[in-house]
Amino acid sequence: MMDRQIPEERLALLGILAWTAAVVFILRLVNLQVIGGAHYLEIAEKNRTQIISQAAPRGRIFSADQAAIATSRPSFSLIYFPGQVKAGPETDRMARALAKPLRADYEELRRTIYKAATREKPVRLAENLPPKIMLALSELKAVYPGVDIIVEARRHYPFGAYLSHLVGYIGKMDARDWAARARDKNYSMDARLGKAGLEKMFERELKGKDGGIYLEVDSRGKLNRVLESRKWVPGADIFLTIDSKAQAAAEAGLQKSATGKGAVVALDPRTGAVLAFVSMPDYDPNMFVMSGSEKQGLEAGQILPEFNVALQGTYPPGSIFKIVTSAALLEGGRVNPDEKVLCPGYYDAGSRVFKCWDKKGHGRVAFIEGLARSCDVYYYVNGQRAGPLAIEKYSRAFRLGLPTGIALPDERSGNVFGPSARAAKKSYWFIGDTLNLAIGQGETLMTPIQAAGMIAAVANGGIFHRPYYVDRIVRADGQQLLKNKPEEVSRVKLKDSTWALIRAGLGSVVSEGTGQAAKLAGVEIYGKTGTAQNPHGKDHAWFVAYASIAGQPSRVAVAVLVEHGEHGSSAAAPIARSVIEAVLRADLPKAPPAAAPVAPVAPAEKSTAAPAGVTA
Amino acid sequence: MIFATETGLKKHRVDWVLFLSALLLLAIGTIAVFSSVAVLPQQARIIRVQLTAIPLALLVFGAAWSLNYQVYQDQWKFVYGLLLLFLAGVLFFGVVDKGARSWYRLPFFSIQPSEFARVGLILVLANFLDKRIGKIRELRTVVGAFALCVPVFLLLIKQPDFSAILITFPVALIMLFAAGASLFHLSIIIGYAFISGLFPVLWSIISLNPELMDNSLVSYFFHLSDSLLSAGLFVAAVVFGFWLLWRLSVQLYANVSGLYFTGAAIVLILGFFSGVMVKNQMKDYQQKRLEVFLSPETDPRGAGYNLLQARIAIGSGGILGRGIFSGTQSRLGFVPERHTDFILAVVGEEMGFWGMALVTGLYALLMRRLMQGARLARDRFGYLVNCGIFGMFLVYFCINFGMLLGLAPVAGVPLPLVSYGGSNLVATLMALGIAESVYARRYALV
Repeated sequence: MMDRQIPEERLALLGILAWTAAVVFILRLVNLQVIGGAHYLEIAEKNRTQIISQAAPRGRIFSADQAAIATSRPSFSLIYFPGQVKAGPETDRMARALAKPLRADYEELRRTIYKAATREKPVRLAENLPPKIMLALSELKAVYPGVDIIVEARRHYPFGAYLSHLVGYIGKMDARDWAARARDKNYSMDARLGKAGLEKMFERELKGKDGGIYLEVDSRGKLNRVLESRKWVPGADIFLTIDSKAQAAAEAGLQKSATGKGAVVALDPRTGAVLAFVSMPDYDPNMFVMSGSEKQGLEAGQILPEFNVALQGTYPPGSIFKIVTSAALLEGGRVNPDEKVLCPGYYDAGSRVFKCWDKKGHGRVAFIEGLARSCDVYYYVNGQRAGPLAIEKYSRAFRLGLPTGIALPDERSGNVFGPSARAAKKSYWFIGDTLNLAIGQGETLMTPIQAAGMIAAVANGGIFHRPYYVDRIVRADGQQLLKNKPEEVSRVKLKDSTWALIRAGLGSVVSEGTGQAAKLAGVEIYGKTGTAQNPHGKDHAWFVAYASIAGQPSRVAVAVLVEHGEHGSSAAAPIARSVIEAVLRADLPKAPPAAAPVAPVAPAEKSTAAPAGVTA
Repeated sequence: MIFATETGLKKHRVDWVLFLSALLLLAIGTIAVFSSVAVLPQQARIIRVQLTAIPLALLVFGAAWSLNYQVYQDQWKFVYGLLLLFLAGVLFFGVVDKGARSWYRLPFFSIQPSEFARVGLILVLANFLDKRIGKIRELRTVVGAFALCVPVFLLLIKQPDFSAILITFPVALIMLFAAGASLFHLSIIIGYAFISGLFPVLWSIISLNPELMDNSLVSYFFHLSDSLLSAGLFVAAVVFGFWLLWRLSVQLYANVSGLYFTGAAIVLILGFFSGVMVKNQMKDYQQKRLEVFLSPETDPRGAGYNLLQARIAIGSGGILGRGIFSGTQSRLGFVPERHTDFILAVVGEEMGFWGMALVTGLYALLMRRLMQGARLARDRFGYLVNCGIFGMFLVYFCINFGMLLGLAPVAGVPLPLVSYGGSNLVATLMALGIAESVYARRYALV
């Protein structure tokens, strides 16, 4: 036999080589499968599934009287599924065929389809298809594989530019939204979300849960089977405290006013619930959900008036501030409400002559007449007697300089004017300042919603509620997510006699004074006109009022500001009247409004009627 | 030479571990193949081929096992002649599939002669080395061994079937190594192969990173292969450089033989020329594979995509796998060549880490038994044959696993016993049958 002389060490080396390879491969497999298993599994799942997401209908928004302010309605979208056709001349032909009925740019459409075909991702070619186009498209659908029409829920605002500053609008996600919601699986790249107002604030509740069709596709994007079809869950509905009729009346009134700019805020004095909330100029939130072709001629971003006049516009209160001054006069005890003051149409303060708004003068006026006819001289004289510090104190008690606390962003708080505020600025206080303070000019600033809060406090006996406009949020399955309750923020304590006198004065403003335009048959209306001096143009018109039906606590308080409206009596008061009429419509006598008689109210009745507004 | 037909193989003459681990691998592979082709249009044909190939392969295995392996040594000229005949014949009578003329089409099935050529070459080389064992440390023996390979390689290049060369060349090296060839000679050959591979790789790297061309030396190097003049300059520079080194070592009284310098220079120059040849011979897709391995992110949707998808498939299997017949990556066609070269992706996805560990372990066991068989062989020929078969499995194992796990370039090499492929399966089981024959006849009975 041959001697073999096996080189053992060489064989051992080969053996080590084999073992090393095996160990290296095992280690690599541990790394790949045991450690990275979950990661790769996720990639593999993404690889094979394609989702046609179906946006859930957003929760609806209703007014207190069940009018739908924001709803969702079905809308048809054209989607394209790549896979059956390779990107190239075939898809170009498809783009050309689709461009005509869609009235879209061919080049753009071609690029979209081409991209979708190469990346093998489904894409929406058009949204919100009008019925006319649908017919033409459904024919093309049969010719070009991969093109399909799907139903989606789309936001719709039936009233258009209605309550827009409160409701807000929805829009496509921008980079910032996307970054914030990157981990949220409920938002797809083309999802829309609330961008302002209620839509933004209650995005989570309104959103609902998107549904989707989960498809299994193979490596060429060809449909293999439907894995799962998940139905969407609609978002929760929001019920507002807004009275749709009052809101409509306020919007129509302001629209018809001289400039069409300003704000109306109506509150329920018993609770602080917002009944109407208008800020003009406003916008139509439907604009933001329109598809490309509908948008032509609209430059959405540029004309968007996001400034909320009711919340962010600060104006000198003018004569409506006399309510606060009156409280200071009557509470201080230095002024006798029956004492008459002669108004010759001006007041000589020594260094300077201050005019009354009526140059002819009001003659000799006592408190009620002074308030009713808004006599400036009466307030010049008695304002000095009561003292600027007292007026400042009560303007703070009436929450000037403090936000009302309504759940809306960027509320302004106005400005308190007075000696201590002036002292805080390390400056001096003059007699002229006292006179300006007494009639609400000077540096005092107020927002319309603050004015509404003030007049509501007069109506309910001094209680300031936090204004709220969301009554409740109810999920689709009936579960109540939120129920708002009235929240008292603060209270002004005045003597009953003071309240009675102020109310009597406000009553005679409407019955025989400057606010007669607000008169309404069958309702007791208490109001005050105001003119905010505007050095830049025409004066702004104010009117604040509350109303009650005899024997019942007041149910509505309203503040109206018409920018550049000049006179509260003519520009603002009729708007307040129509809002009050709308709120109390159920309890009003059925009289044709045109024939509303200008019923004279006896002065004697005023004092007895006044306590009617006090709530228990 | 004495040989005799034996009858009645006894139980201890069978390497059951080798046989059973091969059968188990074949079972795993068959399941994976069936699973991976379940949605393919050519499903029926593949299953039919696999189901015919398995009994045929087992038959060949049994035949090779019962036949005394020494007959191959005795009839080596016949084996070699048959091998060259089949390889040459396929160039005339073969059919073209995937760009290579490497198939004989027969009425019921096709045969790929290069698969059998691998096994035949192992036998021929084993005989040659056994005969020249006295002069094994001479360069002539090494050159002679490769001279036997060269006609086979040339025929394979003609097809072209580079992956067969990729397997056979290292197997020849391993056999020389096991036979006791001089390490110096082997390192010259390895160096030559390394350099002829290094040049194309370097050129690829440069063309992938064009900013490197700003360096004039790099730019000059890149254009070396463009003209005869620059190539000549390169050769002159190499010769001059090594001459200088030699003179320097003489000056320093370093006792280094001039032979080494001459050898190194020759290896470098020869390596350069074959590198140029390789570069010019490389097909576009091969160039692409090389580039993808060098920088996988250059083309995530193209050639790199395949590798990436295979890796996702393996990774997504996790520890326990996604279940047989439920791997989405392979079944939905994300993994290319999933029943052949990328069969491990299917195993990894559907059977998980344990499945992969089992395949790795069985391969390790198989190689261990083959080596054991080599140690126990009754003569040097048997020893060398078993070493060759061991080397063949080792090379397949390294290249296929390495490719899938991202440790080697995509080479288009199947995994024997696991991958689909009739000729490969029959040839592999034939090789294992020969190894069993060596094992069974380890005692000098006659």
